[in-house]
Amino acid sequence: MPTHELILLKNMSTPGYTGSLADYERAGGYQALRKVLGKIAPADVTEMVKKSGLRGRGGAGFPTGVKWEFLPKDYQGPRYLCCNADESEPGTFKDRQLMERDPHQMLEGIVITCYAIGAEIGYIYIRGEFVLGAQILERALGEARAAGYLGTNILDTGFNLDVWVHRGAGAYICGEETALLESLEGKRGLPRVKPPFPATHGLYNKPTVVNNVETLANLPHILNRGPEWFASIGSPPRSTGTRIFCVSGHVKRPGNYEVPMGITFRELIFDHAGGMRSDKPLKAIIPGGASAAFFTDQHLEVKLDFESVAQAGSMLGSGGVTVMEEGTSMVWAALRLMEFFYHESCGKCTPCREGSSWLVQTLRRIMAKRGRHEDLDTLTELCKNIVGRTICAFGDAEVAPILSTLQYWRHEYEELIEAAEAAELITPEPALARH
Amino acid sequence: MADVAIETVTLTIDGVPVTALKGTLVIEAARQMGVMIPHFCYHPKLKPDANCRMCVVEIEKVPKLQTSCSTPVAEGMVVRTATTVVNEAHKSILEFILANHPLDCPVCDQGGRCDLQDFSHESTPTTSRFVEVKRIFQKEYFSPLIETEMNRCVQCLRCVRYCDEVMDVKALAPSGRGTMTEIKHFSIHELDCEFCGGCVQICPVGAITSRLSMYEFRPWMLKRADTICTYCGDGCQITIQTKENELIEVNSSHGAGRNNGDLCPRGFFGYHVSTHPDRLQHPLIRRNGALVQTTWEEALEFIAETCLSLKLAHGPTAFAGLIASRCTNEDLYVFQKFMRLVIGTNQLDSSARYGHINGVRALLRVQGTHRWTIAFEDIVSAHALLLVGTNITETNPITGLKVKEAVKKRGAVLVTVEALQPAIGTISNITNLAAHHVTAHPERFGDAVLGLIKGVVEEGLVDPSLTQRAPEYVKAISEAVRCLPWSAIEQATGSTSSALRAAARAFADAPRAVILVGQGVLRAPGGSGVTTTLLDLLLLTGHHGRPGCGLAPLAEENNDQGAVEMGTVAEFLPGPGDLTDQAVRERIAGLWKEELPQTPGRTLMEILDDARAGTVKVLFVVGENPVGTLPHAARAKEALERLELLVCQELFLTETAALADVVLPACSYAEKSGTFTNTEGHVQSVRQAIEPVGESRPDWEILSALSVLLGYPIEYREPREILKEIRSLISGYGLLGPAPIPPRPDAAVVEGYLKKGFAEDVTSRYSLSSSTDRQAGNLTLVVAQSLFHSGKLSTRAKGLLELQKAGALALNPADATLLGIAEGDQVRLSNARGQMTTSVQVRDRVPEGQAVFPEHFDQEVRRLLSVSPDPQTGAPYFKTTQVKVEKV
Repeated sequence: MPTHELILLKNMSTPGYTGSLADYERAGGYQALRKVLGKIAPADVTEMVKKSGLRGRGGAGFPTGVKWEFLPKDYQGPRYLCCNADESEPGTFKDRQLMERDPHQMLEGIVITCYAIGAEIGYIYIRGEFVLGAQILERALGEARAAGYLGTNILDTGFNLDVWVHRGAGAYICGEETALLESLEGKRGLPRVKPPFPATHGLYNKPTVVNNVETLANLPHILNRGPEWFASIGSPPRSTGTRIFCVSGHVKRPGNYEVPMGITFRELIFDHAGGMRSDKPLKAIIPGGASAAFFTDQHLEVKLDFESVAQAGSMLGSGGVTVMEEGTSMVWAALRLMEFFYHESCGKCTPCREGSSWLVQTLRRIMAKRGRHEDLDTLTELCKNIVGRTICAFGDAEVAPILSTLQYWRHEYEELIEAAEAAELITPEPALARH
Repeated sequence: MADVAIETVTLTIDGVPVTALKGTLVIEAARQMGVMIPHFCYHPKLKPDANCRMCVVEIEKVPKLQTSCSTPVAEGMVVRTATTVVNEAHKSILEFILANHPLDCPVCDQGGRCDLQDFSHESTPTTSRFVEVKRIFQKEYFSPLIETEMNRCVQCLRCVRYCDEVMDVKALAPSGRGTMTEIKHFSIHELDCEFCGGCVQICPVGAITSRLSMYEFRPWMLKRADTICTYCGDGCQITIQTKENELIEVNSSHGAGRNNGDLCPRGFFGYHVSTHPDRLQHPLIRRNGALVQTTWEEALEFIAETCLSLKLAHGPTAFAGLIASRCTNEDLYVFQKFMRLVIGTNQLDSSARYGHINGVRALLRVQGTHRWTIAFEDIVSAHALLLVGTNITETNPITGLKVKEAVKKRGAVLVTVEALQPAIGTISNITNLAAHHVTAHPERFGDAVLGLIKGVVEEGLVDPSLTQRAPEYVKAISEAVRCLPWSAIEQATGSTSSALRAAARAFADAPRAVILVGQGVLRAPGGSGVTTTLLDLLLLTGHHGRPGCGLAPLAEENNDQGAVEMGTVAEFLPGPGDLTDQAVRERIAGLWKEELPQTPGRTLMEILDDARAGTVKVLFVVGENPVGTLPHAARAKEALERLELLVCQELFLTETAALADVVLPACSYAEKSGTFTNTEGHVQSVRQAIEPVGESRPDWEILSALSVLLGYPIEYREPREILKEIRSLISGYGLLGPAPIPPRPDAAVVEGYLKKGFAEDVTSRYSLSSSTDRQAGNLTLVVAQSLFHSGKLSTRAKGLLELQKAGALALNPADATLLGIAEGDQVRLSNARGQMTTSVQVRDRVPEGQAVFPEHFDQEVRRLLSVSPDPQTGAPYFKTTQVKVEKV
């Protein structure tokens, strides 16, 4: 039922499109590259991307062109692009589709980016579980090398680039850009202390840009059709272009939906994803992946752009929209996410490491009807002691589900606690098992 | 030192204006003004990791709290370390850490000196809100010496980072994720590493502790003595901690001594020697062929009477003395004074003869100094380092750390000329860090040095001002190296000419360059000559005499340098001054108010020859063990058995002491006071930690007592009086400051060397060693120092024996395959002199054709070795030989 033009998902929506180089070229692929390489100065490419208003699609929404500009101008020596394809945010599955169904779209974006930032080596850090994606990318890289889109002297412009696929080994934290770099260097994937930022001290301590798959996939289109065109889509000036929202949960048609930013949650859920799966009304929405604070049915009119979602108290994040119907236990939902964060906390810094285990145990206890009223104050305070005190954004993410469910559905916690008091069940659980 | 403009910034910490160097971290700036910001993961030696989040502070205009350990100071910065918000943050971190930390302080060895305990007492309530179940790690066996209790771990990763960043060993790693993160080593078997004890020392809590002292103490029960380690020439400051005269543990605090708190396995785990049950408790005297216990009076009177009658019969030339360089300067000084004045002979030598003398002689000859012209700091700040013949991690581990710091943290170019080759192993291998490495045969380090000099000459890297200043010198050397064909050098060194040229260029181009010379050169034939040639390299590249540049021979024994300076070697009087130099003699005679004996000095090997020939009839041996050290071929035992009187002052009944007529129990370093002079010429205080074992007495005191009985009293009340006398004679013993002040090369001596001195032996020094090709099927046996032992003394340390109980022959995998030998197999080593059996270790770092055996357990290996004294310096060479290796 889309009433707008598809950009990123257009090719793969065409019947018979296989994602091969031939198909991609037939659909107008690698034209942007021909337009750019050797014809537009790298600084001008960056300027165009800035003008388009493109912001990172990985979660933080940082303006892409500005990020590129942070690389030191006069640095002699290698610099790198790392494509963050470690899509691990629960409820998010857009990058996987972009890579598996239309790999060359992203590759073209990678070549353009490397040209703009002066990198001669690019890495695609792909989530370890995406075996198929990694195979498809390897095949696509082979095609691109054979066709002269990668390698030495690309399109006779003197520009050299090679791109390598590196598979992760199954840690959520490696989607955090500095942990990704550590992992890529062959070390344990733990976030680095910032500053310094990757722009100056990234991979192997060299200037590095880390961009998300969807972000890179947008670039050929921006350069083909101009930054003004891109900036006119969505809700300019701060949220331009389309976004792929991954709708999951209790809806009729879960899936990836590419829509211009700025449509409302109601439109996304009811017009695109077919509405609720049963006659139960909508109860809660996770607006942007597991790290985003929950919304209620009161937020259906909030627009899906960076500012509106932030103003309403959450974040657009990775674009993973999870919908829950009436009857879902919000304590259970929070616990389910907390179990994930507990499992994935890397353990490098104290508040997140110790906090996640404390929070999950307390939530488990409440859920098992062994909670106490003072637990709710403890939960709130522990969350406050984690936010802003950790090395990376993981700490902020892990407390969002708890704080938001406590804010909107505190009574559900209290009901479980009252049930516990009635049954006098307040003995602790057995010791944490090993992972 | 580098000429760097020092930039400072001014900031405010807790309302007080502070000026700090640019780049200083806020936590350090606060410490400098006396504010201690609580922290766990931060350590000044390590790169900030900011993982514990304990050290957060408020910085004006920055919205979030910032970790002071990772934030550099900035101009105008306003820092608050004790606001309500900051205090609450500290409390919350402690609450988080204590959630899973066991409250087992009463049984934890760290209790009483634990950062977590201290911070908790300062700021948390006595009860916790944590009502969940604590995380529990299963107890796992870690290693024989290091104990881990992972439930206590605060995951600050200091141990892991220290092991990597400082030691370059990388034996530890965090394993598991999140709250299940624990510190482990990599293999399934027990920890296999350098056992420097750094992880034990740097752990802020009781997660990693020493098993040697487990459950034996509470920190407040311990008595501490800051003293100096005796296991190598580095001269590390150690703190010996004792309880009721028992040695409990040794550590070294950050910032202490020349080692800056870093130690090696010998220093950290090797302290039990002094209280070993085999220590000699009473004087022994030989009666009816057997040594029996006696009293001090009887022993000393017997020695005195025998000495007097033998002196009357044969004169003072029938007497000689040997002393170990492990003794304090005070012991050494009194020993030589005793020999020269009481006995009346110059026939004395010390264990500095084994190699250190070669380095000192070269320095004296070329630049007129007997000490390094650099200090450890210059190694750290050098741009290029050339290491020749030193597996530095195993011989001088802490000097090795300075090299590692220079290379890893400051990007210095490392050039190594070493017998071992780069390979990954459980012990860090300095050649792994080298930008240019020459794997030289242990007998051919000199050839590799000539290759480097040829590279310098042919690449046009000779300092033009030197060519102007000393045209003949440059011409002579240039011609000499031009005559050496590259093909011969390549064959001798196994390196290509281009590799040698590149290494020469890297060394020559560096603004500040340092050469470290190890036992491989110093204890080899012609060691003094090769060291002289290395000084030529410094001169030719224009580095010689420049600040921060110099050549540094590495001392093997803790007081090798002191032994030379105290005049306890054959050729030197205290100073060291030449024994034959009339001015020196007069000066010393004036101070001693006594004529010096006229007889020439005799070296260790000459003394043994004299004893065998019967001209020396009385030998005083202080702590030295020629029978146990020299190969059988030296026939030391035969020599000593011919003596009419052998007196030994010893800690243990060594091979030499077992032959003695009188054995006098001496104090170990832990039981006496005095000074040691380390390899860089730094004089440091030795302080008594325990009461003397049994009836043992310090060596100087024994000699002093004997002197009285011999009718020429040299008496002192305490070591400080001896030091006072040393000061009046020898420069450099005035202030025992925190850092040495290296001497400058003597310009006149350098000039003399460049004009004339070099020519004496330029031909012999600038010719390739005559190749003694290995016979087919034979391997070159190399006797080398092990990291876990030092001499033979350390084989009495129970901690070190846990690490290495016996010698094993290390072979290259290719040779092992060729011989059909696997790890752990028994092999027989044989040559014309004898045979022995031992087990085999297969090690990548041993080059093909070589077999390395540690020198500490070598009772049998000494049968195989030949011995030859260096023609110039008399240093006995017995480190290599050829053997046939067969599987048993």
